[in-house]
Amino acid sequence: MNTIAEHIADFLKEYPPFNNLTFQELSDIATNIRVHNLEKHAILFQNNDVLHDSFYVVASGVINLTTIADAEETIINKCHEGDIFGLRPFFAKNNYMMTAKAREESIIYAIPIAVFRPFVANNSDVLNFLLESFSINSRHTKDNANSNGKLIPESAYIDQQSEMQYVQSLVYNNSPLTTEGHHIVKDVAILMTEAMVDNIVVCEKNHPIGIVTDADLSSKIATGRYPITETIDKIMSSPVVTVIENVSLAEAQLLMLKHNVSHLCVTKDGTSKSSVKGIISEHDLIVAQASNPGVLIKEIKRSQLPKDLKQIRDRLSDLIQNSIQKNIPISHISNIASEINLAIIKRAVELSILDLGSPPARFAWLSIGSQGRKEQLLLTDQDSILIFEDVTPEKYREVKDYFLRLGKRTTAILEKVGYEYCPNGHMGSNMLWCKSLTDWTKQYNSWMNTPGENSNDLSSIFFDYEIVFGEPKIEEVIENVIFKNAVNNTLFFDFLGNDALKRNSPLSFFKKFIVEEEGPHKTKFDIKTRALMPLIDSARLLILNANIKGIKNTYLRFKQLAITDSKNAEIYLSCAEAFLTLSKFRTVEGLKNDDSGQYINLREMSKTDKEKLKNALNPMKDLEELIKSKFQLTQFS
Amino acid sequence: MLDWLKKINKEYPDFWKEYLTKFESKPTKYVVLSTETSGLNPDKDVILSLGAFSVIDDSIVIKESFETVLLQYKFLQDNGLSNEFIIESKMIKMQEPEALEALINFIGNAVLVGHHINFDIEMLNAALERLDCGRIKNEALDVDVMYRKLTDINDKQFSMDDLSEIYKIPKSDRNSSAEDAYKIALVFLKLKSRLGIR
Repeated sequence: MNTIAEHIADFLKEYPPFNNLTFQELSDIATNIRVHNLEKHAILFQNNDVLHDSFYVVASGVINLTTIADAEETIINKCHEGDIFGLRPFFAKNNYMMTAKAREESIIYAIPIAVFRPFVANNSDVLNFLLESFSINSRHTKDNANSNGKLIPESAYIDQQSEMQYVQSLVYNNSPLTTEGHHIVKDVAILMTEAMVDNIVVCEKNHPIGIVTDADLSSKIATGRYPITETIDKIMSSPVVTVIENVSLAEAQLLMLKHNVSHLCVTKDGTSKSSVKGIISEHDLIVAQASNPGVLIKEIKRSQLPKDLKQIRDRLSDLIQNSIQKNIPISHISNIASEINLAIIKRAVELSILDLGSPPARFAWLSIGSQGRKEQLLLTDQDSILIFEDVTPEKYREVKDYFLRLGKRTTAILEKVGYEYCPNGHMGSNMLWCKSLTDWTKQYNSWMNTPGENSNDLSSIFFDYEIVFGEPKIEEVIENVIFKNAVNNTLFFDFLGNDALKRNSPLSFFKKFIVEEEGPHKTKFDIKTRALMPLIDSARLLILNANIKGIKNTYLRFKQLAITDSKNAEIYLSCAEAFLTLSKFRTVEGLKNDDSGQYINLREMSKTDKEKLKNALNPMKDLEELIKSKFQLTQFS
Repeated sequence: MLDWLKKINKEYPDFWKEYLTKFESKPTKYVVLSTETSGLNPDKDVILSLGAFSVIDDSIVIKESFETVLLQYKFLQDNGLSNEFIIESKMIKMQEPEALEALINFIGNAVLVGHHINFDIEMLNAALERLDCGRIKNEALDVDVMYRKLTDINDKQFSMDDLSEIYKIPKSDRNSSAEDAYKIALVFLKLKSRLGIR
């Protein structure tokens, strides 16, 4: 009896591969565990270290796995609570090929290989999981197996990679719809429609004798070859191709090609003479293979829980990281990322509506700030507003109440997904920012016509918005209000101009970076407020002034300005490029540290990178002059 | 008058003699120890449970652990407490003499670590005296003292809860000596690396 061993067993049983073992087995394993504490930046093992006699499970904290290629440290993976790593001793004899370093103070469990090996040998699920994890290092990036592999210039590693593809197991529908041969086609079709599936297995004594898919229905019923009152066994495809449980991706693919079918029936012993366990569709294969944006969006639309959304958001981070490492242009990445973010927020609103019932009035949920500009690459805080159509005074209270609840629920879901609440409360759940259309119109009128007077809370982020959910007309109305007010509104532009230029400059007189002088980010460079914000603010100011609607992205705004205001095209274009470069620096930093990337650690930067960063800051000076002359700003508040 | 002489000649129990011989070599490990007692007076109160873990090479070795509930009939009776729970529980139960012998064998010459360890040692000494043994000879480290040394704070004591809070040790709903010992062990690992103790 060992209390702590049981606690550890309790912890382990939540995570694969341990969830395949019994509690007693886990307790035995836990008894043999050693618990290590790693201080921040402590190294557990390094590239080329002799293998340890244990593998590791993260109990708390984050461990970064990195390799060194071309003299550059590349993060292969981040291991979070419950992830396993350091599996090399199971499968290979040569030294470690990566470095495991604590990103923050971490506690890890060391499980001796000798203790765990018998469980691996006796349990194929455990073996498969370990094999898979070995090649990709951590389970939550399962889908990126291919792209991760390419980062590592180890031939041995890549071999394992393709091997992995082969053994990668499939997730499929394991409670398929079944029916019996004597049922009527129409009833079966109704059943399928209700369950929203495209296939049904026809069974006899629970053994599969055939399958009916949408294709059968369209080719045999819709064409009139069989009447709709026929029994189902007349139109089913038979025999059905059966496979055993735990079929691998590659095997399933081959079988489908060989038999030219779109579905495989999983049975207990793999023959058609045993009970049905599940159905694998082509779609399952695609999902298993790809973590491409399309699949992510599709999955978002189907998610039911914040947890599912969170997992998808995590995969998006992996996708972003891989894309950056592959040098895909940042404008491209941010387009994709913002579409996915948009889909997540939209789904969050939908889920809330599903909970609360249909809204009592038409409304629009707008993302503001970075997501409104479609520039959100990292998990930053959420900014949103809610506008609902005007209702009669007696209904107003009830309606506002509903939308406030909707706002609260949605923001809470998003918080669970990983978007922090806005520290300034700029969210649709806030009384102030959940208003009727008339109130919003008044709000914008007062902001724009009397800036700075009774509007301390005028935040320029309200001028970047993007509809996420609801009635597009409402967004149009607000847009018209803004642009109508903007015409010849010197006061407003004066205000915005001063706001854009009041930020501290990024470089000192001697072209040195101005870094934080105190606080937790001492000696780091604040790329967000010193470099990105001025560009973003300026772009917004200029585009509003030029009265150009519908362009919401800073990069595109500069591009558009270069066309409209062609005599200054050069400045605008260099700003557009600079913006991309700076965003990339910020994103890379943010991914490295799992934060918003606001502060860049200059000491960790190479000399060329520093030069690049400095060059990206150069166009700002010209832009500042341009704004000053354009809006005749001579003095600054 | 010759009481002290009597004491010298007095025959110690075998396990104690063996314990004393262990100090001929240098300690190779730490043992994190926690006791649960019926009160704060070493003379009147008794130990109710013991929990201990070995710390070797900067890691807690779960296997090398010691935990037991002491069946203190006198205490339970005096207080009218039901010992049904203790009887029912799967915990290892021992009589005081048996438990102390096992503990002494377990700790050997290791450096003891605890939270306000001096009190734990006092309690053990009192119990050992009842078994005609000497006093505990092990070196001892107190995590509270270690923490104050690290932070240079002298005017304040830190409870185990404070330290758990500071080092973000996950709280658990279960409470036992083993649980406490494990927490102390985690805090100890963190302090040890910060203070650079080998």
